[in-house]
Amino acid sequence: MQSTTPAAQPGLSRRSFLFGAAALGAGLSMAGCAPGQGSGGKTTTITFYVSKPEVIGYFDGLIKQFHASQDTVRVIRDSTSSMSADFVRNQPPDLGCWNYNFSVAAFVRHGALSDLSDMAEAKSINPKLWPLLQQTATYPGRTSAIPYSVMAASVIYNKDMFARYGLAVPTTWSQLQAVCRTLQGAGISPFYNTLKDNWTVAQGMFDYSVGGMVDIPRFFSALDAEGTSVRAGSAASFHKDFQGPMQHMSQLALLANQDAASRGYGDGNLAFAQGKAAMYLQGPWALNEIAKTAPTMNLGTFPLPVTEDPADLKVRVNVDLALWIPEASKKKAAARQFLSFLMQPEVNDKYNADNNGFGVRTDSPPARNPALAGMQKYYDGAAFYLGASQLIPASIPVADYAQAIALGSAPGPELATLDSDWSRLALRNA
Amino acid sequence: MSTQVMPAPATHTAPATAGSRPRRRPSRAQRGSWALTIILALCSLTVLVPLYASCVMAFKTTRQAVDGNAFSLPFPLSLDGFVQAWTLTDFPRSFAISVFIAAVTVAGTIALSSFAAFAISHNWENRVFRWSFFYLLAAMFLPFPVVALSQVKLTGMVHLDNPVGVAILHIMFQLSFSVMLFTAFLRSIPTELEESARIDGASTWQVFWRLVFPLLAPMSATVGIFAFLASWNDYMMPTLITADPALQTLPVLQNIFQTQFSNNYNVSFASYLMAMAPAIIVYLISQRWVMSGLTQGAIK
Repeated sequence: MQSTTPAAQPGLSRRSFLFGAAALGAGLSMAGCAPGQGSGGKTTTITFYVSKPEVIGYFDGLIKQFHASQDTVRVIRDSTSSMSADFVRNQPPDLGCWNYNFSVAAFVRHGALSDLSDMAEAKSINPKLWPLLQQTATYPGRTSAIPYSVMAASVIYNKDMFARYGLAVPTTWSQLQAVCRTLQGAGISPFYNTLKDNWTVAQGMFDYSVGGMVDIPRFFSALDAEGTSVRAGSAASFHKDFQGPMQHMSQLALLANQDAASRGYGDGNLAFAQGKAAMYLQGPWALNEIAKTAPTMNLGTFPLPVTEDPADLKVRVNVDLALWIPEASKKKAAARQFLSFLMQPEVNDKYNADNNGFGVRTDSPPARNPALAGMQKYYDGAAFYLGASQLIPASIPVADYAQAIALGSAPGPELATLDSDWSRLALRNA
Repeated sequence: MSTQVMPAPATHTAPATAGSRPRRRPSRAQRGSWALTIILALCSLTVLVPLYASCVMAFKTTRQAVDGNAFSLPFPLSLDGFVQAWTLTDFPRSFAISVFIAAVTVAGTIALSSFAAFAISHNWENRVFRWSFFYLLAAMFLPFPVVALSQVKLTGMVHLDNPVGVAILHIMFQLSFSVMLFTAFLRSIPTELEESARIDGASTWQVFWRLVFPLLAPMSATVGIFAFLASWNDYMMPTLITADPALQTLPVLQNIFQTQFSNNYNVSFASYLMAMAPAIIVYLISQRWVMSGLTQGAIK
């Protein structure tokens, strides 16, 4: 008796603790389930996936507006679930708003996304944009996604600095070199490079040099036709077609800040905002980051000239956001209703104006940010290309090869490696 | 009887061996302790410096946060990061869900693995129990990513694609390591203790609950801390298993603060500080037990 009584007391308190924890857990799980079950009656609840974290607040505001405008569809915004897991358990979001790149390409190719070609919104899209979507991924006979926002990228330059040295925007390779010589003579590094982050090299110097000289769609379809036999001597190969652009890139790399090898993306935004270089090879996403340090900086953009012909000038674009509805969604009608709401010209145009995007309809207004004005002409004239680094499958580390070339490696061997990677991947997929 | 006898020699021998050494060679021991102090101070810097950086970063304005000086003091002082982090993660809700998963994981891991360890250590001669121990240990070599796809599919099929499913999976993945710790500890408890309880008429359940489980307390604290940290800090499992975005945990939601193209250092660090607080508090409270658990195990 004596030995059991003292032992019982700590046992009791531990037991009550465990019961308490279990009760707390049960209570919480009930509370968690409550809002999900509350959507009875005639309302349909759909899940809307936004992949861009920086615009979550913006879309939350839109969802509120949408809820106020009607009461049959309720939208839950999701930005954290794993998309692959959602598809695996056959519960994908009812409406997706994603980058149209490799992450979505697999879903498109396997026909996981429903056809939207009968929607009026699909017909209003600028027809020049469809080839961009088809190049990334396509499913026969379907319009799998509707573009929402396109981002155009080129050289960002410091307008005040150009004005101070009486420089005009260069339109040919030799003009660009003359501009760089003037800047170097004044002790200013022409470009600010951030080689530490390899993706900045791939989307900047690499894509701009290649896109300015190579016909991207034709090159990649030739490469696809070549398939497993891509090598240094074949009709189309990285070794043959990228040799010229890479020579230019190697020269560009020499015109940058001395410490480029150890600088990352964040350092680049800060340094450029502090006026440490005249030009910066980044897309419009960097404009917001530069504005954190220098909100009133006078910036402009121009396509990187890599040939002697001003007619070759083009800007790099990517379909930043596209809307799509999965085949597995059971609430396609409600999802289409919200899609139409998002695609209304005033809603869509406001998004693009606020987020440095270019419009997707033929009647979209020009980009609002004055820094993007330099690219409008090229965008309207469809003088654009998808970045080559975005069209090479992610399993080939093209950003690393680009980084190596920017750091001084000879382009030839790197491009030969790229060729053998391509043919090996083609063999594996065959 | 035996409970009073056991610690007695232990407490006598421990100070005797520890106390005799410094008296014989005081200078070397002192020098040794100085070197040790310096090494420990340097080691603690590896924790304190990042902690300092995250504290000051959390109070900076966005403009100061990107200026490249991580160690500068925040000026002007801004609570903007905390406000944004609070609203963007819906902090009270995500915090409650994280706490719920961690609490269920800790309670479940301690209960299940101590049951299993008790059964295994008492039936070691039985082939079924011995092999079930090896079977549980083998799970240590099976990381979650390997079985992720099938787990996602399975939890979806049985409607466990929610925090309850995450907690159950956390318990499962903690089981092997915890059973190993408990079994090793249980083997050091003399069987006479249990036999005396049996003589007094205790059933198996009473032996476990009244006698063995209280003795396991220090090891339970260790197991509990491991289970808590694994569950609280986990990113991959909740992000894959939880289907409803409104039931997502804190670490997963914090992922939205940093992308390839933009950095919100002040917001993310404010959010990390808020998430770190409970882990630190839990450790501060329970570390005494961990320490005592380690020394008890060492003497026995």
